[in-house]
Amino acid sequence: MNRDRIIADFAFNATRAGAEVVRAKDTEEMNRILSLLLRERDSILIYCPGLTELEKAASIPPLRLTMDYKAATICVEEAEAAIAETGTLIYSNQGGRLLSAGLLASHHVVMIREENIHEALDDFFAHLGDSPPAYLAFETGPSRTADIELQITLGVHGPERLTIILL
Amino acid sequence: MSAKNEIPTHPIPFRALALRSLSDPELRATLSLVVETFTQKRQEALAGLPWEEWRERLSSLRLQILNDLPAFVHLFAARARAVGATVHQALDAKSACEIVTSILREREARRVVKSKSMISEEIHLNQHLREQGIEAIETDLGEYINQLAGHGPSHLIVPAIHHNRRRIGQLFAHKLNVPYTEDPVELTRIARKFLREEFLRAQAGITGANFAVAETGSLVLFTNEGNGRLVTTLPPLHLALVSIDKMIPSTGDLPLVVRLLPRSATGQILTSYLSVITGAREAAGSWGAHELHIVLVDNGRSRILASPYREMLKCIRCGACSNACPIYRLVGGHAYGSTYPGPMGAVLTALLEGMERAHPLLDGSTLCGACAEVCPAKVPLVTLLRRLREQKVEARLTPWVERAAMAGWACAVRFPLLYRLGKVAAGVVWPVAKRIGRNTVLGRMPDFAPRFFRRRIW
Repeated sequence: MNRDRIIADFAFNATRAGAEVVRAKDTEEMNRILSLLLRERDSILIYCPGLTELEKAASIPPLRLTMDYKAATICVEEAEAAIAETGTLIYSNQGGRLLSAGLLASHHVVMIREENIHEALDDFFAHLGDSPPAYLAFETGPSRTADIELQITLGVHGPERLTIILL
Repeated sequence: MSAKNEIPTHPIPFRALALRSLSDPELRATLSLVVETFTQKRQEALAGLPWEEWRERLSSLRLQILNDLPAFVHLFAARARAVGATVHQALDAKSACEIVTSILREREARRVVKSKSMISEEIHLNQHLREQGIEAIETDLGEYINQLAGHGPSHLIVPAIHHNRRRIGQLFAHKLNVPYTEDPVELTRIARKFLREEFLRAQAGITGANFAVAETGSLVLFTNEGNGRLVTTLPPLHLALVSIDKMIPSTGDLPLVVRLLPRSATGQILTSYLSVITGAREAAGSWGAHELHIVLVDNGRSRILASPYREMLKCIRCGACSNACPIYRLVGGHAYGSTYPGPMGAVLTALLEGMERAHPLLDGSTLCGACAEVCPAKVPLVTLLRRLREQKVEARLTPWVERAAMAGWACAVRFPLLYRLGKVAAGVVWPVAKRIGRNTVLGRMPDFAPRFFRRRIW
């Protein structure tokens, strides 16, 4: 399957799972999108771990930036990999990433490089081998529950909104 | 709900519990919504996919594990230790509970958060912890509601579905001291706020595992709410209870189970969150070193493995059989009076808790086979149910009326004259019996056909 098809599949399945997906051609466009997203509301606190090049390149209003991930309302970070088949983003604890940060914020903004999108689950797990990182976290759409009369409610423990920026 | 480690021996009052559910119109309405929604979503999620081929593969994968279970458990334990986990083995519920309490005690952990775990329900861990002065807070919204209400789960996937929004609103107002609301969004927000505090101050997190990967020593956890990840990343200690039948050979088998479990359970392509945890994490900033303890629980699995019922251990706890079962659809999970409801629950409870206690559950089946048809692991539920029923008859656990009727029938079919005489007598007695017993089950029985079946074909 060609790259465009894989990217389209990823966007389709992520959207179906309840995420918003936007495409940016470079970091400049990514920052324009971020500034729109981050301008939307007042009284926001943004956590961005700054562990990867994209996270370092993300321009975030300094006054809104916090290192206290437990208090942040928005978490901006980059996913390590993604799976087109399911519309899933993948993170690991490697490099000191805090895997609870993306869950505690009510809005999760995630950058993913298109070359890191795998076509199917098998492709990702085939690369994994027999020594996976200590923690692999998969995220498919926002946090949801149907525990009360089967009515889908978003944001029960994790984010109620998930925005994915494709690069 | 019984909440002791020792299994009570009196039979589960299935009929009485079922009658209670049947006379609760609100419960029946919610229940039919659940089973219809899940059934439909499941069908949609599987449409156009090689379902038969996938379940055949899952079935043989699970059999491969069962054929060599001790070796896989051994491998899992060795690999998990190699990546820094401490592995404990518990033969029964009592020792599993004791291991958990002693780990928590050593670290003086009194506040504990839990993510939904059926094995912890099975061993009645919460009750045990409470007796030891340790408060374990359930963080799955459904389980949290059940905990506030003091109820057990009524469905494998949506455990609090027996409460409607009004009951939950009253429960929250009463127990959490918040203004009454019956808006699910508002109720969820209230739970989020209360549980967020619990997450942040918990000293330990307890989870189960949907699967355990033998080759890597990994634990696999599926959740939609995200509580599975928070329970395993925020507190400094993670304690996982894993029943030994949860093994899968390698991470290469994960795509198959990832494709089958959520589709069978909720009709989703994948749950919102999935964690694959391989050993303890190194110290990393403010969250400190993360300690991982894994308790491998047998609690009767080895006994089932050595019995003719071993294929029950192929089950991956998706709950699809309950949703498909015409009896479950009417009576709901609490009628089963046990940890596990529905067709898989009837079989597993009989195997775990013994025939004396569980035999009434075996009546709660029409043997129609709908359960086996939807099972992603091809557990032969009908065969297992029928075999257990035979065992029930052999153990003389059926009522004397039934035994007498069966003996009479067995006698009559052997002698054609007696049989014909019986038919004539029944033609007279039956309408009378139905009139007398018109307010009982007898009155609802069908009339005899005007012409006997044999006459109709010849």
